[in-house]
Amino acid sequence: MSSVLQKLITPLASSPAEPPRNKVTVVGVGQVGMACAISILLRDLCDELALVDVMEDRLKGEMMDLQHGSLFLKTSKIVADKDYVVTANSRLVVVTAGVRQQEGESRLNLVQRNVNVFKVIIPQIVKYSPNCTLIVVSNPVDVLTYVTWKLSGLPKHRVIGSGTNLDSARFRYLMSERLGIHASSFNGWVLGEHGDTSVPVWSGANVAGVNFQSLNPDIGTDGDKEQWAATHKAVVDSAYEVIKLKGYTNWAIGLSVADLIESIVKNMSRVHPVSTMVKAAVVVADSLESEVGEMPDKERMWRKWLWNHNLVATSWDCGKGLLPFPGLHHHPGPQVGAEHQLHHQEGSAEVVLPEAARNLTCQRR
Amino acid sequence: MSTKEKLISHVMKEEPVASANKVTVVGVGMVGMACAISVLLKDLCDELALVDVMEDKLKGEIMDLQHGSLFLKTHKIVADKDYSVTANSKLVVVTAGARQQEGESRLNLVQRNVNIFKFIIPNIVKHSPNCIILVVSNPVDILTYVAWKLSGFPRHRVIGSGTNLDSARFRHLMGEKLNIHPSSCHGWIIGEHGDSSVPVWSGVNVAGVSLQGLNPQMGTEGDSENWKAVHKEVVDGEAYSPTSSTAGTDEKDQQNESKMKMLEHTWAYEVIRLKGYTSWAIGMSVANLVESILKNLHKVHPVSTLVQGMHGVKDEVFLSVPSVLGNSGLTDVIHMTLKPDEEKQLMSSADTLWGVQKELVL
Repeated sequence: MSSVLQKLITPLASSPAEPPRNKVTVVGVGQVGMACAISILLRDLCDELALVDVMEDRLKGEMMDLQHGSLFLKTSKIVADKDYVVTANSRLVVVTAGVRQQEGESRLNLVQRNVNVFKVIIPQIVKYSPNCTLIVVSNPVDVLTYVTWKLSGLPKHRVIGSGTNLDSARFRYLMSERLGIHASSFNGWVLGEHGDTSVPVWSGANVAGVNFQSLNPDIGTDGDKEQWAATHKAVVDSAYEVIKLKGYTNWAIGLSVADLIESIVKNMSRVHPVSTMVKAAVVVADSLESEVGEMPDKERMWRKWLWNHNLVATSWDCGKGLLPFPGLHHHPGPQVGAEHQLHHQEGSAEVVLPEAARNLTCQRR
Repeated sequence: MSTKEKLISHVMKEEPVASANKVTVVGVGMVGMACAISVLLKDLCDELALVDVMEDKLKGEIMDLQHGSLFLKTHKIVADKDYSVTANSKLVVVTAGARQQEGESRLNLVQRNVNIFKFIIPNIVKHSPNCIILVVSNPVDILTYVAWKLSGFPRHRVIGSGTNLDSARFRHLMGEKLNIHPSSCHGWIIGEHGDSSVPVWSGVNVAGVSLQGLNPQMGTEGDSENWKAVHKEVVDGEAYSPTSSTAGTDEKDQQNESKMKMLEHTWAYEVIRLKGYTSWAIGMSVANLVESILKNLHKVHPVSTLVQGMHGVKDEVFLSVPSVLGNSGLTDVIHMTLKPDEEKQLMSSADTLWGVQKELVL
């Protein structure tokens, strides 16, 4: 007598199961990892989701809870295991594992604790998904992205830190609230280190192309009567404040990670502020340090480097005056773009720099 | 002139129009926040309000959600301990209450949660007298009755999340077994959410093909030896692995069907044992209901409603039956033709629930 399955269904093809095309792995099923997972699932970004953690019961419980909602989702395979074999053939791996920032603890204090965790995690990921792109979320994200890059041996364009994608989102929310508009209608970039020393690029802040700095030349400075800089300070403080109130942050970072993943898997070539390798050749005047290194074809983030070092370019060799800042192109000359384009295959690879960068002079901001 | 004034001219002379589709979530625990993030990610409302008594936690949660505004399409996300923040809601989701402890049956939660509802429900009604109340807190069937009594609302505006989740879990298990997506596997679990829910085996189908028609023994407990073995496995907490397909003989299938039904309600306990609570599945199932209501879909869902006069039930109890949901609320109920033992189970649930309800101090 044949079973219900046999009576109901006649298979037409008996080929082995197809490998997943858009598999995402999330490492770490704490609050951040699960917020990333639920955001990815509810945005229909992957055809398979894998979860990994060392806490086996918690991991299994989270997997089951997600699977029970599979009726409402379009991700047919949700798996989890302590063993990294379950992560094989991932296109993207999101690393949220690590110890959590305590109340009042700065991100940099977490470093050594998390480096030790990564020494276990990263080689395993690469072993099972040698062609994946890694997105590092654990803090301090900029340092840990570097650590991940070193431990993985992957090319730089496939190791990305979630960076200031979230800081920029918070900045855009807080600024837009002051203006009564949606966050997506306020354009503003926060670059540099994710956290305490992040840099709001005031010169690029605009609504409908109307530049804020031209409306208020003091914006971002101490002399600004309207104290717009306080809004950026609120961005830096907000993470600490949320941690103090509810113990951790998760929803915003989860949404921002899903936003990055969307750009990558859908090959959108959108521009995001994310943490990537910064190495530039800049000749600097006065007593400032100069760093001259090799300039490979791609990956020069010199303007970001400038901002990180509190510098502004004042002139360049062809005497065109102030260089444009990210997002604005005043010069008819060579294109100066310091944004990162996220390609699905190449991660954050496309950064175009002019040769003229070699002849930059700068001063302190 | 300030920077804002230089940038923007306000040109509308009237007061701004109120939100058209406001949703309130009462309770910002794991379930409440899972409901909130699911509703937000599905773009279901133009305003979301959160309420709770724990002020710091509430403020932290609202800030965290607001920080994600760039990625969402819900412009107004607000929170307060004071219920005035919930005013003019179309739909209020009540998740507040004490959490089910490991091993605790849902019925034991009752009186704890009734006292909480005595505070919450009148506050909701005061600020949103025309809203629809969706009760999620457990034991959901009893608490939906309580919310109905305390609110004074007509029965079509007080709905319990009921067996919407049980049915989803059942369809997931069915899908795993048949290697088909749950949305193509049809099966209805009705009655009491949890321990005594009723799987209507006669309706279980794929593409209209009745599985019971293929296997008339489906769902029966014919072989008591096997049932005991299955029951023991469940009691011992060994989770049935749905991916290890043992499809082969009829007997195995019969075991598996019963096993599936048996395990369906234990999986909630299993998830609670493993991670401390359940959140994602219930959050998504609530968003599924919110969607049908706010978009006036007239979709049929197994949710908890007043079943007095149906299936032999005499008392004022709420049980899940397939119901039509739209923006007026729960407007119609589908008549299921139940087997005598299925009806008996519903009536027995009703008796148990009434036994508890009549002792409650409302």
